[in-house]
Amino acid sequence: MLILSRKTSESIVIDGRIHVKIVRVEGEVVKIGIEAPSDVPVHRQEIYEEIQRNNQQALVRPIGPLPKLVQPKNKTAAPSASPALKSARP
Amino acid sequence: MKCNCIETEPPAVVAASNVRLPMGLLGFEQMKDYLLIANPEEEPFGRLQVKGDASLCFVVINPFLIAPDYHPDIPQADVDFLGLKNPEDALLLNIVTVQKQGQAATMNLKGPIVINRNTGIGKQVVIANASEYSVQHPLLVSEAAG
Repeated sequence: MLILSRKTSESIVIDGRIHVKIVRVEGEVVKIGIEAPSDVPVHRQEIYEEIQRNNQQALVRPIGPLPKLVQPKNKTAAPSASPALKSARP
Repeated sequence: MKCNCIETEPPAVVAASNVRLPMGLLGFEQMKDYLLIANPEEEPFGRLQVKGDASLCFVVINPFLIAPDYHPDIPQADVDFLGLKNPEDALLLNIVTVQKQGQAATMNLKGPIVINRNTGIGKQVVIANASEYSVQHPLLVSEAAG
């Protein structure tokens, strides 16, 4: 792992297009500003890993019958459950 | 005598639409093209199937059906990325994890898939208020009829 020392308001440039700036240091908390192109996803590691794990568990294979959802009662005109896109309609 | 009779009911119409996730799903970044399949027999669940590999599929649901007070905060960068002009443009689908034999199911409220209905382009978004929600929100299900 590359380890660099930086002071507050100093930055690191990655690949000429991702800027990582040390904004503030407050005790144990470091505030970091990240500027990256919109096609570069930036996530907190722990939440990225939590969702990644969940996605891997959710992957269905082989495909079996889905369970039936027990719908809450006294619902007023539930919105259409069909996840259809506009573009799929005539 | 019981037999495997030909069903008299006409087969339900299964709708499929193309969905492109340019960034894939978290952990599946390389899979970008999907078919969103709405089978009336499986409502309110839908399937997000990897295009070109029918054996890979995610079960999805409209989260507001289960959690009417769900208020995901979609970061502005994601709104811009998806080109969402107003809230009605967005189709939210949350990934459902079905446990073995369909005895239990949960949905991920932290990372909804947000799709622009007009373009079919989507992204799994980590909502800004993810700390308020679970990746394993329980769904009330009964086993699938055999």
